[in-house]
Amino acid sequence: MRLFQFYAQNSGEALGLFWQHIYLVAISTGAATAVGLPLGVLLTRRPAWRGPVLGLANVFQTIPSLALFGFLIPLPFIGGIGARTAIVALVLYALLPIVRNTYTGIAGVDPAVRDAGRGMGMTDRQLLLMVELPLALGVILAGVRVATVVSVGTATIAAAIGAGGLGEYIFRGVAMVNDTLILAGALPAALLALAADGLLGFAERRLGWRPT
Amino acid sequence: MAADMRGGRADGRPGGRWFRFGCAALVLAAGCGRRDRIVVGAKNFTESDLLAEIVAQQIERRTGMPVGRRLHLGGTFVCHQAITSGRIDLYVEYTGTAFTAVLKHPPVQDRDSVYRAVAAEYGERFGIVWGKPFGFNNTFAIVVRRRDAERHGLKQVSDVARVAPRWRAGFGFEFLERADGFAGLARTYGLTFAAPPTAMDLGLTYRALADGRVDLIAGNSTDGQIEALDLVALEDDRHYFPPYEAAPVIRAEVLKRYPGVTAALDELAGRLSDAEMRRLNADADVRHRGITTIAREWLRANLP
Repeated sequence: MRLFQFYAQNSGEALGLFWQHIYLVAISTGAATAVGLPLGVLLTRRPAWRGPVLGLANVFQTIPSLALFGFLIPLPFIGGIGARTAIVALVLYALLPIVRNTYTGIAGVDPAVRDAGRGMGMTDRQLLLMVELPLALGVILAGVRVATVVSVGTATIAAAIGAGGLGEYIFRGVAMVNDTLILAGALPAALLALAADGLLGFAERRLGWRPT
Repeated sequence: MAADMRGGRADGRPGGRWFRFGCAALVLAAGCGRRDRIVVGAKNFTESDLLAEIVAQQIERRTGMPVGRRLHLGGTFVCHQAITSGRIDLYVEYTGTAFTAVLKHPPVQDRDSVYRAVAAEYGERFGIVWGKPFGFNNTFAIVVRRRDAERHGLKQVSDVARVAPRWRAGFGFEFLERADGFAGLARTYGLTFAAPPTAMDLGLTYRALADGRVDLIAGNSTDGQIEALDLVALEDDRHYFPPYEAAPVIRAEVLKRYPGVTAALDELAGRLSDAEMRRLNADADVRHRGITTIAREWLRANLP
């Protein structure tokens, strides 16, 4: 097949773009988790913030990526062209499922369990770390899983701003009406999404606590 | 700022089977109901719509005939199918597009010979007449900030060789891939940049240039953004880019039936420079004015 021929001839480049893609996804979902998890916890402590914060995260989801890049280019530090801008955009897109699931997971903890913890004299911090987070872990991981899988797909737009990744083949293929080139980018991206989904699904099953 | 202005220049291969099916359906729908009037078509980008509207209004003004509009029809392929099957009578085509995408010839640099070739072949093969060109040439253009052009005295692309080693370039994916794109440009003008050019979305290259993230991009010579963002297009002094002159293409049968049309179209010949076309595109794309108004005002001011 022409696709295999293409990979055989461009193995170095293809592998480079593949790793670049993984790098973009890993950094952006990592950062989104680092920001989104505490934010989700915070929302359970400050219910009044829930509407505005989730609303904002929702709004980010609706901004078309090219428009978002357009806004980001002139900004200092987080803007410009290249991987940094792409990662900022990917983080913004990944925030919603993580924040929402963290909040929902903790809010869904049985009030009786929480009361029992309090009755045992736990501080709020202890309650969070020893009761709420472990119980909500399955739901939180599900959020990270969704964010990761979606990121593998959206990371293809990084190529629009000079950040490389598998989207580079897709954009080049579209520009040149070359189906082989489009597939060369889209196929490994799809496989990567499936692999990430499987891996995180496995983690979710192992770590998540499930009520029976 | 369509990613593919002029509607698929050299590589005009339209998509797959479904795309073709959709096009066929569109063309059929567009042609329903035979009529005693002229129908003007256009491809799916601002400049094509604008020129079609100008042509349509000009024919209405000069002949008093009703003119139908089928604007924003999809790419070259759709318009070509529509005109050869008689669903539209006229649209504005680019010499380079017709030469490479429709007639499948390899790109040629000389303006006049391309025009002569397409005019002869269209007449023979499709019974379609090429009207006189509007005057501008919507080819690739090397674009820099006006500030830099003035500071370094850049007028032509060959002037860039001096500053290129300190400059960064950003190009759309198509320009980096095409046979008449970056590789040949760099060879023709001996350009070496500070880093390999950044590949990015064509529309974003204008933002990146205006914001100083890159120093040189390749756009289309009649893009409205060139004027709106205070940029300049450098002259292609070694004639590297193939010519894409715009001219109306009309079914010969229509010209025979309505002789007044030829005279009306001839009035438009040579009236639109690159800069003028840029201004009209910017009116539509940047200042968001309606194309009907833009066309009416332009005709009133230039061909009273």
